[in-house]
Amino acid sequence: MSHMSLMLKAAAAAAVLMIAPQAAQAQSSSSITSEQAMAALRAVQAYAKNEGSDPSLAVIDRDGNTVALLRGNNAAPHNLGLAQRKAFTANQFKMKSIEWRDKTKPGTPQAAERDTPNAIPLGGGVPIMVGNEVIGAVGVSGTKGGQEGDTAGAQAGADAAAALVRRLQAQN
Amino acid sequence: MQKLVTGLVVGVVSIFAVSAGFALVQQMTRQFTLQSLGANDISVEQALLVAQGAIDACKKDNSVITVAVVDHEGGVRFIMRGDGASPEMVDNARRKAYTARTFRQATSAWMERTALDAVDEKGKPVDLNGQRFLENTIAQKGGMPILWHGDALGGVGVAGSKGGEEADEVCAKAGVDAIADQLF
Repeated sequence: MSHMSLMLKAAAAAAVLMIAPQAAQAQSSSSITSEQAMAALRAVQAYAKNEGSDPSLAVIDRDGNTVALLRGNNAAPHNLGLAQRKAFTANQFKMKSIEWRDKTKPGTPQAAERDTPNAIPLGGGVPIMVGNEVIGAVGVSGTKGGQEGDTAGAQAGADAAAALVRRLQAQN
Repeated sequence: MQKLVTGLVVGVVSIFAVSAGFALVQQMTRQFTLQSLGANDISVEQALLVAQGAIDACKKDNSVITVAVVDHEGGVRFIMRGDGASPEMVDNARRKAYTARTFRQATSAWMERTALDAVDEKGKPVDLNGQRFLENTIAQKGGMPILWHGDALGGVGVAGSKGGEEADEVCAKAGVDAIADQLF
């Protein structure tokens, strides 16, 4: 009988040990790496070079913390802070900030969402998506195409970062 | 009578022509004499080279650092947080860069100069400790100015290397050295 209970305990302990690393895995994808952020930065720069603009940009992780910041050579004083807020908005509401802008128009039931500190209803923030999961965001300010242009630039950055994340996942 | 009218007309026209010419000359001189300040500021391209230089130097002992590059005005030009670094590191590195830029010296040198018991070359006490209370400064090693002809184009700050603040400073210096060929 005591042998039996000992074996049961051992089996239970083994089961816990096997499950524990699996459960911990959920946390491991929580931040964008500097390599992924750099890929996003380069993609935004490539987009900007193509049209001859000089934008500022921010890359944040899913917790909303800064991974990378870059202020363009001829940026206006507000550009970098705005890029950060656009990224924050895309990450927080898990959609492009331009979509969130339209969704929260004054008069709509969601309009009060615009009171969220740090959020901003302007296009240029794009979430970094892997599957259906938002793992961070890119915010861009200062392209030639206004909010649509900023969104396109940020999308290029988010795509580049997501591609690296997917490649990493495929390797593991 | 005819003569008088002609004279009057010629007079009015010539006054108008002279004043118009004068205004034109005035406008042209203003355009050529208005001289705004042309600040020498660190560019995005330079900032990325500086940051990469610091990151590469710190890779030698497998350190993953957070690096910040601030511009001539002390504002952020570029920041990259190291993998796994805490979020506070971003501001830590930025403040090191800011301190080095604004005082145009390594933060280690600035710390010596602003210490409570600091003395000048002649051994006379210098009380600059109050500088440490300035916003955005930080009394930590790891910040280096990016100097060019006596002025600072910007500054670089490194945080989080394995060797502590001493190693942070070595990596920050390596960052500046990465664009040394442009800072002759």
